[in-house]
Amino acid sequence: MALFTKSARQIKVLARDPVLLALIVVIFASVAIFVVYPLVKVLIASLQVRGTWTLETFSQLGQRRLYRNAIVNSLSVGALVGLLGVVIGYIAAFVLTRLDVPGRRILHYLTLLPIISPPFVSAVSILFLFGFNGVITKQVLGLQDFSIYGFHGVVLSQVLTFAPIAYLSLRGVLSSINPVLEDAALNVGASGWQAFWKVTFPLSLPGVASAFLIVFIESMSDFGNPLVLAGAAFPMLAPQAYLEITGSFNLSRGAMLAVVLLIPSLTAFAIQRYYLGKRQYVTVTGKPSASASRIVSPGVKWSLYALVVLFAAVVTLFYGVIVIGAFTRVWGFDYAPTLAHFAYVFDVGFDAVTDTLIIALITTPLSGVLGMVVAFLIVRQRFPGHDLLEFGAILSFAVPGTVVGIGYILAFNSPPFVLTGTLTILVLCFVFRYVPVGIQSGVAVLRQIDPSIEEAARNLGAGSVTTFRKVTLPLIAPAFFTGLVYAFVRAMTAISAAIFLVSANWNLMTVQILNQVGSGRLGVAAAYSLVVIGIVLVAIVIIQTGVARMTRHSVSVKV
Amino acid sequence: MNTFIRALAVSASLALLGGTSAQALTVYSSVDEENSTVILKAFTDATGVAVDMVFLSSGPALSRIEAEKNNPQADVWFGAPSENHILARERELTQAYVSANADGLTDQFKDADGYWHAIYTNPLAFGVRTDILAERGAPVPTSWADLSDPAYKGLIQMPSPQSSGTAYAVILTLREIMGEDAAFDYMKTLNPNIQTYTQSGTAPSGALSVGETPLAIQFTPGFLKLKDEGFPVEVVFASEGVGYEVAAMSILAGTQNLDDAKTLVDWMTSAAGQQAMIDAKTYFLPVRADVNAGEGVSSLDQINLVSYDPAYASENRQRLVDRWTDDVLGQ
Repeated sequence: MALFTKSARQIKVLARDPVLLALIVVIFASVAIFVVYPLVKVLIASLQVRGTWTLETFSQLGQRRLYRNAIVNSLSVGALVGLLGVVIGYIAAFVLTRLDVPGRRILHYLTLLPIISPPFVSAVSILFLFGFNGVITKQVLGLQDFSIYGFHGVVLSQVLTFAPIAYLSLRGVLSSINPVLEDAALNVGASGWQAFWKVTFPLSLPGVASAFLIVFIESMSDFGNPLVLAGAAFPMLAPQAYLEITGSFNLSRGAMLAVVLLIPSLTAFAIQRYYLGKRQYVTVTGKPSASASRIVSPGVKWSLYALVVLFAAVVTLFYGVIVIGAFTRVWGFDYAPTLAHFAYVFDVGFDAVTDTLIIALITTPLSGVLGMVVAFLIVRQRFPGHDLLEFGAILSFAVPGTVVGIGYILAFNSPPFVLTGTLTILVLCFVFRYVPVGIQSGVAVLRQIDPSIEEAARNLGAGSVTTFRKVTLPLIAPAFFTGLVYAFVRAMTAISAAIFLVSANWNLMTVQILNQVGSGRLGVAAAYSLVVIGIVLVAIVIIQTGVARMTRHSVSVKV
Repeated sequence: MNTFIRALAVSASLALLGGTSAQALTVYSSVDEENSTVILKAFTDATGVAVDMVFLSSGPALSRIEAEKNNPQADVWFGAPSENHILARERELTQAYVSANADGLTDQFKDADGYWHAIYTNPLAFGVRTDILAERGAPVPTSWADLSDPAYKGLIQMPSPQSSGTAYAVILTLREIMGEDAAFDYMKTLNPNIQTYTQSGTAPSGALSVGETPLAIQFTPGFLKLKDEGFPVEVVFASEGVGYEVAAMSILAGTQNLDDAKTLVDWMTSAAGQQAMIDAKTYFLPVRADVNAGEGVSSLDQINLVSYDPAYASENRQRLVDRWTDDVLGQ
């Protein structure tokens, strides 16, 4: 009864703000259709074989050692990659946002490089460098029997690919921590280490947890790196689910593995949600400032800096290999320079380039704005079904891409929603799949901003839309930037969900790269990757300029 | 390229105007578009018969031919596995004509009554980087038995049966040679020598080219291409026998252009036609023993071909692939 009156009261409040009410209803409906419905379809498919209900596919989990091995392997890789990824991402984010060190801009872009290239590419450059005929292992070290295939190969490739995602996600959080708090700790006699453990780290914990979650799930759902690097003796879950569907056309078994893949991801998601739900942090109280952190001694500072430079150097090496590969006839055999691979991309494969660009350009603003709006609703508004909306909106980010792709095929290939083969299905998939990162960053940042700033605006007569646009948005600009960049980058580079949704009319560069790697045309794959990287770099600069212009508001407001 | 053939067809038919029937030979081609274009162009160059090509993969081609049964729109079905042509014969969609050059083809490459003839074949083979093996002091393997030698530990790439028909052909071949249980025991002992099971059936030759692996198992075209491009690659056909795929052609029942259709079948099965196919760099293996796919490549009479029942193959695919994942991958 109390609950009911509370809801009624909330609705009455909302009714005074029809824009807000309509917004909530529309977002609710979209989340139900484009996030929850496909997952329900996957669950149903996993429990049916040729139309009859059965647990047959699940019983194979117990019977087939392959599946058990795959689960153990994927979990151990995911956990280790999550841990290493967050450590690297945290150090990089701390050094590049909080310390006064030279070359931050260039280090920032180098650190981002791996996520703006498709996941297959880092695996290919690892083969070029550490493979059987690798430049380092064979030609420099002269190793004859070193094998990169298996656990270590996949972990190496995934850490390199996903640590930058942790970096990107932690960057917004770390840069919005007010250094005054650290200074206060130092002033009352804490050591730099104590100030870090008692102040900086706890404040960034929501970001750390969500970064770990992102990397863990990315690792679980990634099939690009395992397909290339897992080798013959190291089965993993996501490639198995992918092979069941695309290789054997066994939908129910693929759906079953997808459900299995979902369990650890959702568990990690739930732990993170409950653990952090109880913590609230408010550090930005109307005086955002950006001074360098003083909690590290020069020695520590330069050691951390050296680590970041080292990571950037590794990245440079890996992508240098791709650049050379793109302009080389056959890597490892004939190093004669050639433009033939680019000629192929711009001649035979140019449709995929324009298709990908169109899809990314539609997806990015939709996803970015939606992410901030939902974050705002979650943190600042109270309405019936609030927790449900939050769960639903962030859910798809705990869902491996393979599962989303399978779900979309099952859900949108028959009435009432026939969307397969269209541009719409790819855009919708990307928007709802990648919006949670924007939401997460938005929520993490918003929770640190005192609501009294917004209340002040509302007291001065601003409506909810004006308050959001003029006050909230400028304050959460770093998170908005993260959301936009992430949406664009993933639209350009994602493959695990999209590979199920591409058609003859709408194809993607990443899928082309996979095909080229599959046919052994590594030069063409490298050329495609450079095109992707080029486009994304240009886009990031444009987005950053745009967001910076928006943020100037907050600078002028600064007291 | 298709328009190129059309242009060629138009000019050729204009040249023939005033002569006999000026209609181009209409071909439904299930050979991939690039290769069927070059083969049929070579045919037009050699015989003067203009060709109008429609590219259709084997499934759609068969249903289209069946739908047009009472009013055939094409004269020849060119390409698609021989099983599909056997099916077309059973459904009375094709007609018999024994090629003038049928003597040059062994039995598995032609229908006894002349309903279909082979165009080319792709056997399974080992691609071997001789330079890398020499550097390691390992011998070039010549048989399936050789491959399980511990000297090749982690040195072989083959496709995964879970995603590739090529790898399934390997299972079927070994099953024919050894019997099913022995074949799976063999694949278990082979497993430590496999570097990785690739998703695509053509990936191993790519890995061979960059030297990522010195030994690769797949159908021949990828290897023949590398050899032609100058890679130190040897193409080995296992002495116990290798499975193979056959692309065939048949003349459609009710064709309006029987003479030209016969010319195509005669030409394609002739030594000249087979040689033209090799010269056009299709990297298919010729079906005549007197034509060679390239220097140092075995000709057909030196290859031990192993046949298996296509009906059995399609009925048992899930079972055999599951057994492979359980016994070999999940061991």
